[in-house]
This record gives sequence, structure tokens and C-alpha cells, in this order.
Amino acid sequence: MTDQSLKNRGFWFSEWAFPVFVATLCSGIFAGTHMYFVYHVGAFNDIAIVAMLEAGIKGGSYGAAAAFGASFLFARVLEGPLVGILDIGGALQTGIGIGVPAMLLGAGITAPLENFTLSLLVGALLGLLIGVVIIMIRRYTVAGSTSTFGADVMMGAGNAAGRYLGPLIVITAIMASIPVGIGATVGAAFFYAYKKPIAGGAIIGAMIMGAIFPILLK
Amino acid sequence: MGVTLVIIFKSIIIGALVGFGVGAGAARMFHAPNVQGMGAFRTFGELNACEGDPISHFSFGLGFLFNAWASVVGAGALTQDVDHRIIPNWAAASLLWRNRDVTQTLHNPKKMAIAGAFVGVVVVTLLNSTASSVPASMQNVATQVLVPAANWLINPIMPIVFWIAAMDAGRRTGIWSTVLGGIGHLIMGNAVPGIVLGILIGKGVDDSGWNRITKTLVVAVAILYLLSGFFRGFDVAFLHSIQVEIPQWLIDLHKLFGSEVK
Repeated sequence: MTDQSLKNRGFWFSEWAFPVFVATLCSGIFAGTHMYFVYHVGAFNDIAIVAMLEAGIKGGSYGAAAAFGASFLFARVLEGPLVGILDIGGALQTGIGIGVPAMLLGAGITAPLENFTLSLLVGALLGLLIGVVIIMIRRYTVAGSTSTFGADVMMGAGNAAGRYLGPLIVITAIMASIPVGIGATVGAAFFYAYKKPIAGGAIIGAMIMGAIFPILLK
Repeated sequence: MGVTLVIIFKSIIIGALVGFGVGAGAARMFHAPNVQGMGAFRTFGELNACEGDPISHFSFGLGFLFNAWASVVGAGALTQDVDHRIIPNWAAASLLWRNRDVTQTLHNPKKMAIAGAFVGVVVVTLLNSTASSVPASMQNVATQVLVPAANWLINPIMPIVFWIAAMDAGRRTGIWSTVLGGIGHLIMGNAVPGIVLGILIGKGVDDSGWNRITKTLVVAVAILYLLSGFFRGFDVAFLHSIQVEIPQWLIDLHKLFGSEVK
């Protein structure tokens, strides 16, 4: 953890290289949301969070996704410079990848998500901005702050909430139709037996049974 | 076939960009807090746990690849694990294969960025191209099952889990989170952002007292609540619900920002 010659290590360790790294990552993440918007694949986030954006795309409100994404972005950008590690999941994947697109779509702006080149550019600019903000916060706050602002509490709660998704998927599958419910139950049990997160098994099981016995649309 | 080729082409670009950033950020984590890193505490812990053994790094990433594949096939979501676990661990594995010295490989931002870019291209392209070839009817099943499950998760499960965690984290954090969470649910429709901010303030004050950072935080939160309350029309809805006449100046103010008061 200790580096005596950090100043002499050049670009890759420098402070101003950080915004560049955030920019490339954000560019890719934002373009990933473009992929999801256009082709329905490739969003860089967990199912539960992507589903918030999907709820908006399907005609509902973008409010939940925008508020959720923005609050994570805000909290993580503040925390990042204090602890020395910017959280990719909260700040960039949820904030830039879900929160910002939800705000844009909620305001009726679709161009950055429909156009691939534009999505890369918008993502890069947002990333550059966040990187600069973080470096500025680092400069102007006490670098030696010992508080992590409850990051451990939030991460614990985040992981605990994620565990609910598996059982929830099995329940909604059962409510969708009997074959799909059986598929999800068997899939979840199979994944649990092989020590994988059961949400994945439940989805695969539901899809296989749903392909054989399609859910009747009301 | 045309669409698949476009997806492959775009995935290559996206994978390279993401992998480059993740790799450099992960290596810089090992030099935090002197150098600003990027990743996550769990990523940092997991990378350390593999103790520089390329096979451990590879198999750890592989386990999450299957999970990401199930998720992207079902719902088009790559999972956060692509950036948090698969890319950093596989980039580390590819470098450690030839040189077991972590200080020259895993801790080196330049090498990790380049290795990460290559891994990103492979992983993102593989996941996106195979997922897009799954028939639409199967994806529909997944959406029909997933959307209601996700809606339940967002409300009420996540607010409850975060709320309980905040209350278990001490009296000050519990109070701030309860107040901000409750008002947050009223204004923004979900308590989680408010509870997260409550944890930030409560724990920040617990750890370092009322200093410039924590005071700025409270002011920023107050502004955030006022603005989002105004722009979501909470002020008007509130006055309606307690049967108070909406003053003309408030209607004019809303009109100034382009929203119509009923």
C-alpha cells in the first residue's frame, strides 16, 4: 500500500489520468445502456436495477430509476475521494448507466440512447466530469478523513436486498403460469445445489418451460 | 444476421473501453488512498483473496460469467459482476500466468488496463452476441416474470432492508434515515435514496463529527429534497391534500418552469 516514488511514476499513477479512466469506463457503460435500449441486451447492471429502467421504457414512470440512480451517484462520488476507491457499481453502473438515461428519457430526450456514437460521447463527457469532480473533492477536503460514511452499512443492505430477488422470481413465475412456476422452482433448486445464485436458475427454468408452454396473454 | 453483426461490432468497442477503465482502476486501488482508485471494496478484497494465483482468479471470474450469461439471456442485463469481478479477475489471471509477482502485474495500472481491454472485448462480445440469438418469445417469458419480481424488490423490499440496516447501525443513523427515508418515499416515491443519504449523514457525523463535509452534506440533501419536491409537484399535491387554496404565485412559479398546475 505504500509508495515512495508515486510522483515519479508518470501518467498511469497521476491524478489527472483518473478522469481519463473514468471517461473510458463511463463511455462504455453508457453505450451499454444504448445497447439495451435498442437491442435489449448489454446493460451493465443487475436485473433488479435494469428492470427499473425497463419499467420506464415500457410506459411507466422513470422516477424510481432516476431517483435511485442519482442518489447512488451523489453518495458514491462524495465517498470515492474520501476513501480512495470510486465505487463502479453505484456511481457509474447505476448512476451513469441507469440514473442519467432515466432522467434523459423522462425529459423526452432519446437521441443519446438511440445513437451509438452519441452515446459513447455523452458517456465519455459525463465520466470526465465525474473524474474531475472527484479529483477536486480530493484536493479540497481533508485527505486524511477516516470516515467511510457508512459504506459498509449500505453495501451490507445492498447485498441483503439482492438476496430477495431469487425467491421473488420463483413467486412471480408461479403467478405467471403453472409450467413456468415448476420450471423456475426446479431451476432455482438446481442452482442452489450447485452453489450458484438461485435467481439465474429460476430465470433459465422459467424460460425453458415458457418456451414449451407459452404464457397465455390476457 | 445483420443485427448480430452490429451487436458484435458495438460490443467490441464497448468491451475495450470498459475493460481499459476497469483494469486501470483496479490496479490503482492497490495504491489507495495515495492514488485515486476505481472498483469496489469487495473487488479489492476478492482480488486479494485469490493471492496472486492465476487459476483462482480465473475460476472466480468464470463462476460469475455463468451467472452473467443467465442474466443477459433472460433480461438483457450483464450484471454488475462483469465490471466488478469477471474483468478484473481475468485480467489479473492473464497477467499472472506469465509473472507471479503481483507488484509487477496486478498492481500495475498500465498492464491491467491493456489486459482488461482485451478481456472486456472477449467477455462483452461473447455475452451480448449469444444473448441476442435467443428467440424473442423466450425473452418475453423472462420479462413477464422478472418485471413484477423487480417491482416488488424496489418497493417494498429494498426500502425495508435498507431501513432495518440503518436502524441497526446506531441511533443517529436510524433517526436520520427514518426521517429522510419517510420524506423521500413521499416526494420521490421510494425511500431507498433517502435512507442511503441518512446513513451517509448519520455515519459521517458518528465518525468525524459536525465538520465542513458533514454540514455541506446536510445542505446538499436539503436542496436536493426541495428541488425534487418542487419539480415533482409535491408542494401542490400537499396543499391539495390538506385542502389549502394554491396561491397564484406558486402556480406562476410552476408555469415558469414549464409545468402545469391542475
